[in-house]
Amino acid sequence: MDMPRWVYRTSMRLRALFRGGALDRELDEELRFHFDHLVEEHVARGLTPEAARREALLAIGGIERRKEECRDSRGVALVDDAVRDLRSAFRTLGRAPAFTTAALLTLALGLGATVAMFTVVNGVLLRPLPFPEPDRLHAVSLAPSSYAFRGIPGMADRTFVAFRERDRTFEHLAALTTYKANLTGAGDPVVIPVGNVTTEFFDALGVRAALGRTFVPDDGQEGRERAVVMSDRLWRTQFGSDPAIVGKPITLNGLRHTVVGVMPAGFDFPRGSAAWSPFIIRLDPGNSWLVTVIGRLKPGVTVGQARAALDAAIPALPEGPGEDRARWTIGIFPLVTLLVGEVRWPLQLFAAAVLLVLLIACANVANLLLARASAREREMAVRAALGASRARLVRQLLTESALLSFLGAGLGVLLAHLAVPALLALAPVGRIPRLEMIRIDAWVLAFATAVAAAATLTFGLAPALRLARRRFAGTLLPGGRTIETGQERFRAALVVGQIALALVLLAAAGLLARSFVKLRGIDNGFDVENVVRMSVELPEAVYPDPDVQHAFHREILARLSALPGVEVAALVNWLPLGEMHLNGDFRIEGNPQTPAFNVDKPAVSPGYFRAMGIRVLRGREFSDSDQGSSSGVAIVSRSVAGAIDPAEDVIGRRVTLESRPAPEDWLTIIGVVNDVKQTGPSGRSHAAIYRPYSQVRRPFFLSHMTYVVRTTPDARSVIPAVRSVLRSVDGNQPATAIGLMDDVLDAATAGPEFYASLLGTFAVLALALALVGTYGVIAYSVAERRHEIGVRMALGARGRSVLWLVVRRTLTPGAAGVAIGVAGAWFAARLLESFLFETAPTDPVTFAAVALTVFTGALLAGLIPARRATQVDPVVTLRHE
Amino acid sequence: MSRPPDLVQGTLDLLILKILALEPLHGWAIGQRLRQVSGNVLQVSDGSLYPALHKLENEGWIKAEWKSTGNNRRAKFYALTRSGRRRLEEETAHWDRLSAAITCIVRLEEA
Repeated sequence: MDMPRWVYRTSMRLRALFRGGALDRELDEELRFHFDHLVEEHVARGLTPEAARREALLAIGGIERRKEECRDSRGVALVDDAVRDLRSAFRTLGRAPAFTTAALLTLALGLGATVAMFTVVNGVLLRPLPFPEPDRLHAVSLAPSSYAFRGIPGMADRTFVAFRERDRTFEHLAALTTYKANLTGAGDPVVIPVGNVTTEFFDALGVRAALGRTFVPDDGQEGRERAVVMSDRLWRTQFGSDPAIVGKPITLNGLRHTVVGVMPAGFDFPRGSAAWSPFIIRLDPGNSWLVTVIGRLKPGVTVGQARAALDAAIPALPEGPGEDRARWTIGIFPLVTLLVGEVRWPLQLFAAAVLLVLLIACANVANLLLARASAREREMAVRAALGASRARLVRQLLTESALLSFLGAGLGVLLAHLAVPALLALAPVGRIPRLEMIRIDAWVLAFATAVAAAATLTFGLAPALRLARRRFAGTLLPGGRTIETGQERFRAALVVGQIALALVLLAAAGLLARSFVKLRGIDNGFDVENVVRMSVELPEAVYPDPDVQHAFHREILARLSALPGVEVAALVNWLPLGEMHLNGDFRIEGNPQTPAFNVDKPAVSPGYFRAMGIRVLRGREFSDSDQGSSSGVAIVSRSVAGAIDPAEDVIGRRVTLESRPAPEDWLTIIGVVNDVKQTGPSGRSHAAIYRPYSQVRRPFFLSHMTYVVRTTPDARSVIPAVRSVLRSVDGNQPATAIGLMDDVLDAATAGPEFYASLLGTFAVLALALALVGTYGVIAYSVAERRHEIGVRMALGARGRSVLWLVVRRTLTPGAAGVAIGVAGAWFAARLLESFLFETAPTDPVTFAAVALTVFTGALLAGLIPARRATQVDPVVTLRHE
Repeated sequence: MSRPPDLVQGTLDLLILKILALEPLHGWAIGQRLRQVSGNVLQVSDGSLYPALHKLENEGWIKAEWKSTGNNRRAKFYALTRSGRRRLEEETAHWDRLSAAITCIVRLEEA
């Protein structure tokens, strides 16, 4: 009985592969048997044993060669050779520890940075959302583009309702917003992020509660018992994993909610929500607040079809007062963009930057390998002479490169394992979304392998191909020496490329750094050194009307002012650099036209401008006499004053913030202050109309309040006292934020700082690698020309001319690299434009500085070997021959 | 040269298979037998026989076994397998066709 042929052949191959040693011995015995017979035959014909053996060997044509042919016929030569190549590659690398260390270190740095970056990109951008069929989940926008949530606007409640009625392409549509709520009655009061979601939210995402249920349509009706779903984390940390939590009440913002369910671990969409409450839709015309809308497409519906349906639906959708559909941002975005919107672009940029670093590292290794290939010329020539085919030699060289890059990749993954947490720690808090998805997984390892393979080809192919073209004639002659100009040119080209790439990175980093410095140097319109701020969010249930709110704030301010070390304590409802601000239009008395710009409308206490270091340009600050009972007053910022009357003093003029003002709504201007950058240094200066908070009666303008406390130096030490003031007034109200204003300012520029420092790290790494590469090439060419230099010096060349001889070799590629790099950076910098603040992408100062740095670096890298060249002793070199 | 020029490409396999069809032999004997039977016309160079044998073994047409020979030595004996026999028939038929064709052409009368 025959077994199927492929089984037989496979088993033969496996046998050959794994029992290769035994087979070799058998082969040896078989050939020896033949050989002995042959010898006998020759002896029988009368030859001496000696001659017979020689004849027999000739007849067989070399025992080893026949063995090789037999091995080939077994069909495993490829694998067999690969194993042998690998072994010999290990040996060769082990014999050159300096080379191996240099190459591995370079590769580990390049691959480590690449793998680390990819790990982040993979986690943030590539890994699917943790919901079933995430490809069907989208965010939908039909609104003016202000108040964008992570760059994607949503729609107003009325638009959402109208759209949901007409839409036929989505299985579920849900609206959501987020807010922060005080959770009281479960240990210390805490502020938790809450997702305010319509009841279809969980169905749209396709997630179910782990305990209890999610929302049912009734939960979204006004006047029902308030339901709440909590996250697994909140359930564990605040409620001790109480298995009977469903049905129990909890207090959010002073309001009783009933827990209906607990979500599975890990579910915290949107924005790390700890709980979810039902979103109550408000259709009154004044509600133009934008909510985020997400939807799950029906099976089989494409984004294109949904988009077409959206376009068709628009004319039937209601416009809000003063809105113009033509200026809406209309679109359907993959849900993941909602999560990563802001960081996608920077991440892609960094991924590109890190690839440049990797390219430079590869060029370095290619250079090292080329240098080594020349040094191994003799070895290769000997092997070629002994019958190794060229393909075989090339394969061996490539095996060495592959071994190097895979070892490098291994080290790189190790390095990335350490670098990723460091990278994330460096990133400003909350800047990188989907942190929990960032880890080294199979995809990352696959990526590392692929990059290693690509790297092998990038740096291994050049020396290998060069070998393939090489003629070895002459190499084996005594004293044989060849300097190939072709190779020198290739290596010079590598240097040019490295320098150019490093310059591009350095220029990008330089631009970001310069932009960051400008950002920090900007006049924000306020000066907050030694200022502590503390924010509270007064729940409506506990502080329902302006009188109790005023009383609360007055009490806190009084106690804060009494603290030792406090110079002035004040408050404001929407703090500059805060999470949000309110703005709207205003009217000027005697002018029927509404000014064309909106103003911020902060409510502040007397002393606010002193506390925040905002300059009063004219008139006076608010005082304690500006009370609710007295007539309305306002302080306007400089640009409002300019709009009212550019020439004359505006003090005494009247403005109103209402669209249909009652007589008491007219506010008399008592002072003019500087504009401030409400949204941070990179934003514009905002026009503002300030009112004394004691004259403001709307609860919404009084519930969210921030106290700003200017202290004598060492503001940080005052923070605990500030916190205890809040606790002493109402122990149930947590501070939603507390800390130094300086830290708030730092946080506002933390993004640009992070980008600049990260790109700076890459750039420095790139420059270091490129300069080491340059040094290596020049040093090698000096070593190679030692003899020539010796001869020149023996013939009377001066040290200086030798120095020039070598330095010239750096100058040309250095200058070329700088020129190409500047051109490249010129184009690349445009990609940076959105990151730059008051810095042109072609900022000449940055470009000049960077070009000079790189060129000087390259020159220094060449100067070291050049100096060594001048120290060549001709006698020693020539005698060495 | 691994193959004598007078051996038509590919025929070495056929010859080995045919000789092994008569009886199992070791490599040396195969070479001897080939020479004897062909009256010294065909001979395989000592070097090229073994790669061919290993290839045939690998294909599964012949199998090898170590047996002792007369003077206390081991030798590797090759024997035809069943699929080797089929292969031999195919190759023989092929050869017959080929040689008949060649004979036809060679015997053409010149006008």
